[in-house]
Amino acid sequence: MAKGFNVRTLPGFGGVAILTFVLLYVPIVILVVFSFNAENSQTVWHGFSLRWYEAALANEQVREVSIRSLWLAAVSAGLATVLATLAALGTTRVGRFPGQTMIYALINQPLMVPEIVTGIALLIFVAWIKIATGYTGMGYMVAAHTAFCIPFAYLSIRARLETMDPALESAAADLYASPVQAFRYITLPLLVPGIVAGFMLGFVVSLDTVVITEFVKSAGQETLPTWMLGQLRRTTTPEMNAIATLFLALSLLIVTVFFLITRTRGR
Amino acid sequence: MKKTLGYAVAALLGSTAFASAQGVLNLYNWGNYTSPEMLAAFTAETGIEVTVTDYDSNDTALARIRQGGHGFDIVVPSDTYVPIFIQEGLVQELDDAIVTDRANILPQFLDVPFDPGREYSVPWQWGTTGVIVNTAVYSGDINTADIVLNTPPELQGRLNVIPEMSDVMAIAIYYHGGERCTTDTAILRQVRDTLMAAKPNWLALDYGTVDAYVAGDFDGGLYWNGAAMRVRLQAEQFAYGYPATGYPIWMDNAMVLADAPNRDNAMRFLNFILQPENAAMISNFARYANGIIGGEEGMDEVMRGAPELVIPENLVAAGRWGQVCPQEVNDIHAAIWTELLQ
Repeated sequence: MAKGFNVRTLPGFGGVAILTFVLLYVPIVILVVFSFNAENSQTVWHGFSLRWYEAALANEQVREVSIRSLWLAAVSAGLATVLATLAALGTTRVGRFPGQTMIYALINQPLMVPEIVTGIALLIFVAWIKIATGYTGMGYMVAAHTAFCIPFAYLSIRARLETMDPALESAAADLYASPVQAFRYITLPLLVPGIVAGFMLGFVVSLDTVVITEFVKSAGQETLPTWMLGQLRRTTTPEMNAIATLFLALSLLIVTVFFLITRTRGR
Repeated sequence: MKKTLGYAVAALLGSTAFASAQGVLNLYNWGNYTSPEMLAAFTAETGIEVTVTDYDSNDTALARIRQGGHGFDIVVPSDTYVPIFIQEGLVQELDDAIVTDRANILPQFLDVPFDPGREYSVPWQWGTTGVIVNTAVYSGDINTADIVLNTPPELQGRLNVIPEMSDVMAIAIYYHGGERCTTDTAILRQVRDTLMAAKPNWLALDYGTVDAYVAGDFDGGLYWNGAAMRVRLQAEQFAYGYPATGYPIWMDNAMVLADAPNRDNAMRFLNFILQPENAAMISNFARYANGIIGGEEGMDEVMRGAPELVIPENLVAAGRWGQVCPQEVNDIHAAIWTELLQ
């Protein structure tokens, strides 16, 4: 019996794999290591110290932008998840319908269009609205981040929905459940892992967005990534490393929980 | 459900910045460039709350301001962009009734080519690009571009040159007596030849090399004054030189935007930073020189009188402001630069 093709048997596979991981992760490892540096240097090791973490947590500006980033990520991911759930329920398991491809393209547009293009388009659009209404609050940022997070949540929820057996809802209908009751008692509980996973993915993506936030922010609305970008133009201290490591740890935690939730829940 | 939605929307809309009794001021500045101490002093004196929003490049700032609807009052572009802001009508003239202390500006910075008579702008910080030399290795005159362009034997193969095309081209063009945007092909050909001949003497073309200088990897090179000062404070043998044939000088300038919502507060802020003690606070934070008479007195010990922050009298005239050159000139510079980097 012929053996199936397995890429792992190709020569050099191990070497290329190791090289890829090294190139991807060594810079991050160096970043984390130097956040514990005892002296103000990002290239020469002087000994172990937690001083930069103390400085980062005591820095009022860092606290303010971090809280704003986390708040914005939570609100945007929440709204995006709600909208994405509605979208997924409407477009999955319903056979072909006219305009299906266009709807997929619209929902997934932020994934396909370069972020800078979306950023500049939003700059022009938001500026126009600001001049017309004079409103300069966080609403624009929430709207922009929500729009950007929807495809991530949508794909996650859709994946979960596709594996659900439609016979369950039919069985509920047979037992005299109205569509709303079927949704509330059957579909939603089964969908919760996908929704939570979508929320977390949207949260991490929103925390990360630099380009769109840079163009949409109004006065006094720095988020952590744009603040750090501003710091880079001048000299940086290992305090930057400490802040980056803290947020790396937060992202890792969220992604790990996401992975555990989506791994083996239900059929 | 509807109630919570209503509250949520209200909370969202209500999270706009609310004004204090005296009003607010929205500053749009480079990242990590505004002293919190100075802002606190301003708020204490006037009661005006200040927000700071960052940009990372002159182009980003220009794009946002051009678009309109930005909500900022003050912007701080570099000298090469000040004429663009003025010509496009994006900034307004300083109010003589409020900004009364323009005479505090150092005479050499009072009538500058990018804003004659200082009608629109107030200095924020300024700096130069020059040469840094390890005086333990080389004891000759350091105020010359020969250090990098015609290297003395002791320094050959021990130099680092920052890979900034505009700075390197400027130094080389001034070395041959040309204007920044000269189209004289004879001079440009000499520039190309000098740079190509000098390159074998350079060890590296790197940024971010304070640690490398301190560790002894380099004995000299082309460098910015702020970074050179940081090197000297860790390794005393390094000295900063101003090439007598001409060196680039830059300045970031605060201006009031034409559609600023808080115009009077902005004018008061600009007059505030014209006071020497407040300008010194900006310098202490950003670690560069301000352009105000008496601005050194409030500075930190290590910065007062630092050779990197004070240009020697006889070399002040050799400082040349940057210019945005026409595309044909930029193309020639880019061609020389590409050839140099190969």
